[in-house]
Amino acid sequence: MFETIQNLALGFSVALSPSVLMYAFVGCLVGTLVGVLPGVGPLAGISLLLPATFGLNATNAIVMLAGIYYGAMYGGSTTSILMRIPGEAASVMTCIDGYAMARKGRAGAALAIAAVGSYVAGTISVVALMFLAPPLATFALRFGPPEYFALLLLGLLVLAYMSGGSMAKALAMAAFGLLLGMVGIDQMTGYFRFAYGIVELGDGIGVVPVAVGLFGVAEILISAGQKTPQEIVQPKFRELLPSKTEWRESVMPTARGTVLGFLIGVIPGSAHIISSFVSYALERKLSKTPEQFGKGAVAGVAGPESANNAATSGAFVPMLALGVPSGPIPAVMLAAMMVHGISPGPMLINQQPQLFWGFIASMYIGNVMLLILNLPMVGLFVNVLRVPYPLLYPAILAFSVLGVYAVNGSVVDVWIMFAMGAVGFVLRKLQFETAPVVLGVVLAPMIEMALRQSLAMSDGRYAIFFSRPIATTLLAVGAVLVILALRPLVMRTLDWRARLALVEKGENL
Amino acid sequence: MTVLRMLLVALVVLAAGAPALAQEAYPSRPITVVAPFPPGGIADLTGRPLVAALEKVLKNPVALVNRQGAAGAVGMQSVAVSKPDGYTLLVALSSISIIPEADKLFGRPPAYTVDQFAPIALLTADPTVLVVRTESPWKTAKELVEDAKKRPNQILYSSSGVYGTLHMAMELLSQAAGIKLRHVPASGGGPAVTALLGGHVEALASGPAAVLPHIKAGKLRVLAGWGAERIAALPDVPTFRELGYPEAEFYIWSGLFAPKATPAPVLAKLRDAVKQAVNEPEFKDVMAKQETPITFKQGEDFQKFFDADARRLAEGVRRVGKIETK
Repeated sequence: MFETIQNLALGFSVALSPSVLMYAFVGCLVGTLVGVLPGVGPLAGISLLLPATFGLNATNAIVMLAGIYYGAMYGGSTTSILMRIPGEAASVMTCIDGYAMARKGRAGAALAIAAVGSYVAGTISVVALMFLAPPLATFALRFGPPEYFALLLLGLLVLAYMSGGSMAKALAMAAFGLLLGMVGIDQMTGYFRFAYGIVELGDGIGVVPVAVGLFGVAEILISAGQKTPQEIVQPKFRELLPSKTEWRESVMPTARGTVLGFLIGVIPGSAHIISSFVSYALERKLSKTPEQFGKGAVAGVAGPESANNAATSGAFVPMLALGVPSGPIPAVMLAAMMVHGISPGPMLINQQPQLFWGFIASMYIGNVMLLILNLPMVGLFVNVLRVPYPLLYPAILAFSVLGVYAVNGSVVDVWIMFAMGAVGFVLRKLQFETAPVVLGVVLAPMIEMALRQSLAMSDGRYAIFFSRPIATTLLAVGAVLVILALRPLVMRTLDWRARLALVEKGENL
Repeated sequence: MTVLRMLLVALVVLAAGAPALAQEAYPSRPITVVAPFPPGGIADLTGRPLVAALEKVLKNPVALVNRQGAAGAVGMQSVAVSKPDGYTLLVALSSISIIPEADKLFGRPPAYTVDQFAPIALLTADPTVLVVRTESPWKTAKELVEDAKKRPNQILYSSSGVYGTLHMAMELLSQAAGIKLRHVPASGGGPAVTALLGGHVEALASGPAAVLPHIKAGKLRVLAGWGAERIAALPDVPTFRELGYPEAEFYIWSGLFAPKATPAPVLAKLRDAVKQAVNEPEFKDVMAKQETPITFKQGEDFQKFFDADARRLAEGVRRVGKIETK
């Protein structure tokens, strides 16, 4: 304990030096910007700036790249709330209730709650990173393909169990997403599936064009199709901050989102996007007023936004403690370290205490910077809503095209976005939730890879899932959830889902 | 012979059709070097210091562009069909000869073919090393091979992906030693190391730089190297050639290529520039930090190396064949 505090003091002495402070600020600023731009996420931002870090020293480089990563999680909520366009993939869930809050004139409150939630989650998870990194990393390594498969399957079951409205509709949408996720090179055999000669489809359908299409483009089409133009929400200045009730409603979701996000982030694989989905589902299940979800529930913003920020810190655990990447972004950061002659690995903490503790300390400072950067911007960003729609929508479309194109420099992605926009429009008209589609696209390749790797390990025997304690436990929890979900059918009682349906019916009358 | 003829034809066409172009001194505008993989990979980490050094030598802007997709096929195809004027170049890895072979295997129209490129220079050639966990029962490569003979298809190894470089290294070894190991592909070199460290697989062929820290930390043990010579950083580790499997020779290499029809004077100028660039102290410094030794080859030498490597890899891909999964 004492040693940790001493080390942290060393870290702050590094992190507070002017050059490190400046690079942390640049990283946070760039992160916020790439987060705000629709489509462009932290991976694109880090990739763009990686070459620029080659000339810096290692600490500055890592601090700046990390700033981009967690900064993007702050920025990602902005366009989600104001325009229903996910600024990056992890912000998809924020679109739903954040945008609903904005339509009710609570855009300022939603932005503030997202920023504060991100700050709390970011700070708490750095504390966890500091104290728990080595033991957690060792635990995370025990997640092999069978465990990962069980975890993802459990994630899907949790979501189906907790989603609102018709479960059949939610499952249909998730299945549609999983099918879209089947496009691309078969990772186990090298076959091109459903690519129709388009080389770019070999990588599959990316989550960014799907998310921006289903949410952003579809929203614009829906608005344009309305007979009476949407009212322009004119937020008043004193309404910018959340009310006391709103603050209170955000406390527990933020705390739960932080823990959940951090744990999901630690596990190798790129599951950090699902942290916000699972958090949203959890909050709806625990809420006393689940019918408010989708109509501007504070918990639906606070939970997922905290979760995706905590997940970024969690992702640093295996990277710093063991030198193994937990996803594509830490992988790029590991490469950045190697360029500076630092071999990331189990010895990093001992061999490079300046770098390790300076990095930890800079994350505390970075989170404060982001809060200071984001809170005053709330007032500024909200003004976007004052722009008349005939000007605003073409601009949003242009930014969406730019953002989606920028991720891979691929025109095919832009077409996928437009196609998804049309599909999203139809689905919304038919009252399907589109978030499970995005989740399906994210999960399909991961679940498939994990399942088939597991079966390759066991030479085709499914027993492998029941001979490993972690995998078995996760699957058992999943089985219990399925039984619980089936109970109302047998018991003929009304669960919250049925009550919710009744309430909605009443409203539609 | 056909290569030479094609070059001559291209030259004649260029000389006749574009006199204005011929007079223009090369280079007179920015050169783009395509890395067909995402930032942070070997092509990127070798390409970036190289373009910086080239820029200095040529006194002309040179930029690296990442055009990733389909295991590199997207970027390589884009260079193969680009204008052969010396302003679009490619940093490629061993996979340049694997992809067309895999396309052939599946009866797909190839994204590109190897003879669409003119080799400029080999930059690095890092032999892979065979690593296992420290707790594993195998102390030498021989013990692993013996065990694999007794238990065919029972020993698990990971790789960067099917038909990927790390898969091919293991496959060439299996071929040379007459053994069969069970393959559990991962989605990249990093995840493959993670799978080995977590004990989900038992062996891995990897680039030395990626596993050196884990070897130093006592988590992994290195059994043998795939190169013709021992690795400088691991002088006690034998090569498979020494162990009696010379046909297993394998390197993760990176090289610079231009589209085939690039005019000879331009290629000559580029070859000269690269030769100077790899001797720039900054380039040497960055590569040393990454623990990736520079292996510079040009002309005949590179062509010979490239042809031998392509032949072994084609053989490897054919032997793996289409993969049947359960």
